[in-house]
Order: sequence, then C-alpha cells, then structure tokens
Amino acid sequence: MNRNNFFIHLALALVLILVAAFAGQLSRWRKQWKSHLVIIPATEKKKATTVEEIALTETRSFGRPEVLVKFKAGVSQQAIEQLTARFHDRVEDRIESVDGLEAIDDLDNAAAANVVSEYQQLAEVEYAEPNYDIELDAFEGPLVPVLPHDPQFNDQWALANSGQRGGKQGADISATLAWATTTGSDKVVVAVLDSGVDYTHEDLAGNMWMRPASMAPYQDNELGTIDDEYGFNAIDRASDPMDENGHGTHCAGIIGAEGENNIGIAGVNWKVQIMPLKFMNAGGFGTTKDAIEAINYVIDRKKAGVNVRIISASWGSTQRSRALGEVIRKAYENDILFVAAAGNSTTNNDRNPHFPSSYNVPNVVSVAALDRHDQLAKFSNYGVKSVAIAAPGVDILSTWLGNGYEEKSGTSMATPVVAGVAALILAENPRLSVDELKKKLLASTDPIVALKGKTVTGGRINAAKALE
Amino acid sequence: MAINKDSAVENARNDLAKRLQIDASDVKEKSVEDDDFPDMALGAAEDGEMSGQMITSGWRIKLEAQGQTYEYRADKNQVRAFKFKGQNYRV
Repeated sequence: MNRNNFFIHLALALVLILVAAFAGQLSRWRKQWKSHLVIIPATEKKKATTVEEIALTETRSFGRPEVLVKFKAGVSQQAIEQLTARFHDRVEDRIESVDGLEAIDDLDNAAAANVVSEYQQLAEVEYAEPNYDIELDAFEGPLVPVLPHDPQFNDQWALANSGQRGGKQGADISATLAWATTTGSDKVVVAVLDSGVDYTHEDLAGNMWMRPASMAPYQDNELGTIDDEYGFNAIDRASDPMDENGHGTHCAGIIGAEGENNIGIAGVNWKVQIMPLKFMNAGGFGTTKDAIEAINYVIDRKKAGVNVRIISASWGSTQRSRALGEVIRKAYENDILFVAAAGNSTTNNDRNPHFPSSYNVPNVVSVAALDRHDQLAKFSNYGVKSVAIAAPGVDILSTWLGNGYEEKSGTSMATPVVAGVAALILAENPRLSVDELKKKLLASTDPIVALKGKTVTGGRINAAKALE
Repeated sequence: MAINKDSAVENARNDLAKRLQIDASDVKEKSVEDDDFPDMALGAAEDGEMSGQMITSGWRIKLEAQGQTYEYRADKNQVRAFKFKGQNYRV
C-alpha cells in the first residue's frame, strides 16, 4: 500500500468509525426517548372533597426518577455512573447540596420499590428511597358559600340575609354554607301536615313524594282502600291532597322548593320528597280528629317502608287533646320527628300552652319566629321551658297556589325552616334516630340576645352547624 | 264564593240577631276595621279546631245590641263570632 492509499484508507476508517459511533448514539437516544415516553401510573388519589386537590407530581417528558439514592462518602461520581449503568439506569440529577445524593431514573421503568431494593443491596449505598409524590393537603378552611341561581333567591332573607330591605346582615340560617355540605336528598321524606300541597306547582313538582308502584295503597279500616298516589286527604278520606288554601303549599316550598332549577325560589332542601297530608280546608282550619287521621297515615306509610322521618306541623290552638298527644307519641315510637309552630299570640307557652307544640313528647320541637333583624317576631309565642328554638318567620317568601309566590308571616313559616334543616341533617346522616336528630337540631343554634330567656336554646337554627 | 267586607258585616248582624233573638234592625254597626289576626281561624277557633299559624288579614267587626258590644271577625273565607258568651263560633 502506497502513502496515498494509506491516508485514503485511514480517512475511510475514521469516517466509518464516526458513522458507527453516531449510529450507536442515535440508537441510544431513540431508546431513551421511547422509555421516557412511557406513562407513569398515577398514584392513588384521595376521595374527592369539596375543594381541589393539586398534585405536585412532575410530568417531564424525559421520565421521572424513581428513586433517590445517597451514596457513601468516598464513592466517586464515575463509580456512581458505572453502578447506575450496570442496572440500566441513569443519573437524572445530582443534588449538589448533599454529597452523594442522586436522583436515579430507571430506564426499564421498573417499579420504584424494586429499584430501591437493588440499590439498598449495594455496599456503596448509604440509603435509597422512592421519589414520593407530594400533594397539597385538602383545603380544610372555611366552607365556601353555595348560591343557587333561582331568580327570587335574593328575596329569601331567611336563607341569606345580606341586609336586603333594611335587614340585619347575617341574620339567617346560614343556608348557603350548609349547602356546601349538602343540598338535601330525595331519599328523605318530609310530611307536610297542613291544608294540602299544590303538587303541580312549577317549583315543587320535582320534589313531591309519590307512592311507589311497588307499595300497596293505603288501607283504612272503615273506608277500605284509598289510592294515596300523591298523599292523603283526611278531610274527605280521599286520595287528593291538593291545597285549596295556599298555606300548606307555602310551608312545603320553605322545606323543599326545588333549588338551582332557575325557577322561583330555593327551599332549605333543593332536593327532598314532600308528602302532602291534608287536614285543613280551604279556610285554613281543620279538626283535631282529622289531624290524628293524617298522623295515623304517616305512621302506616313509615311501617310500609317510606322513609318519612319528619312531620312539619304549622298549626295549632290552645286546646289540649289527649288523643292528639297519644298519636304524636306513636309517631315518636316510629322514629318520626314532629316540628310544630309555637303560636302567634305573643304569649308565654310555659304559662299558656299552645298545642301541639306544647305536648311533652320527646319528638316534639316547638318553633318561635324571628324577624329579619334577629328580633323575636312581635306576634310570636315563646317559652324558656317549652319553646325549643327560633327560625325566621316574618315576610317569608315561598310558593303559593297557581304557580305563585307570596310573602307570609307566622310561626307557621318558622316551623318548616326547622323541619327543612332536620331533613338536611338526615340527608347527610340518614341513620340518626329521632332522639339524635332532635339533639342535633337543638345543638345547632346561634345565640340571639332577643331569645335569651325566651326559648330553651336561646338561639336561631343554624343549618351549617347542623351539618358539622 | 269569597266573602267581602259588606257581606261579612251583614252576616255578622244577622247571626247576632239570631243568637239574641232580636230583630236584625236592632243590631247596630259600631266599627269595622281592617286587622291582622294571629291564625287562619282569626284567633277565634271553635272547640276541637286547629288552624294554620299564619298571620291572616281580615276585618274586626264590632256590633252593638241591647246595650252591649259584640265582636265578630271575618275574612274572605269565613265569619266568626268571637267569645260570644265565652265561646267562638263559625257563622
């Protein structure tokens, strides 16, 4: 071979070597790229809460180091590189502030636990651990108010008092905070014992109880079978509890006008089942005997499997009926709460009882009325021993006949507010007994100066506290 | 059919006359005022009667007969004698 040929051959050899080296590097890069594009399985997430959870997991396209390895003092970087290469790993990052601490990326994408185990067995390694995910803890700060978009909600000071029409800001039942926890459940049935309910009302129809098809119609000993598809009418023992007065419809709306449906108002429960029981006529009055019949019906339906846990009773008189007291006690024995209006005669129920709210039966909750300034309503009865709690009851906007909405006042209006809060509690805690439910209600109040010495609790019902 | 103020007063006068067994012309209207009552029985529930505890607007009617004043209460749904000889009656 002459000199020229030598140099030509040498040049060719060098070119071939370079090409081979480059091809090898390309292959290595390609392999690295593919391995780094493997999606790393997400760590197990916590149960969703009402606030966001933000993961700080890195998602770089070149892979995430599975382990952090601390090599012992004296182990050179070259030795570290050789060790990692042996495992087909690479040093993804070196933590300069800690000698020997390396973030290692396993190119085979093995599970972190396995990689840790490999390094822990090396004499050169002080410790090895997984590269843990770090997430922010769930935000456990104050609840965020939930506001419905029902068009007349701003007029419902009882639920959210912003000072509208000169009221006292905050003098409400904290409903918007309560709704951050629950807006009610269609598994909870509330019996409205009243003048009936307009069950076709646009803002109630979606929350009306109907007898399940699988349940037999109600059987009355004297009248036989009554088709109680929509509830019960004790006046004529018929099946239609349609309201001819408006009072019952108003009370029903307070408890559970459908919320967030862009219609009318929002009830304390956006979702609930309302069972209409009619015993008062178009004039708004009825007999004790018919009230007893209606409660009898509720107990029967409870025994038949209907989850009716609350009776809302916005009625009364000063006349005491032993029979009525007995049937209310029967409702207690069947785990049903009985929420009743304290009365509107401005009298002290401790001295001049008002029934049924003054019956000394464990399931009875007597309710006084407050105005928008957190004052006892000028008409409201009271009683430090016999009236349990107070709720908004003046100028309360709710549903009325004919798809209407009206403001009404009375302990009639305060009563379904408390019944509604009881339903919210059961939506969140369905297994509470009636005793536990009443205890929870009475423990969930805001102390009000005007109620000191006027009611047992001295407070206004607080729906948010009731759900804590 | 809904009751208006005038028919309520007329009903009241006739009822009082009947109870006192006198001629309706001997019953005089003393006053008729708009008023709010504590419940839907106008604060004049009969024995064994329960009523909705909602403030109810109506008329307070005061009649005079035989030197005494008698009170009736009424709204569009009803007329009631208030504490006539200690008892309430729906007319």
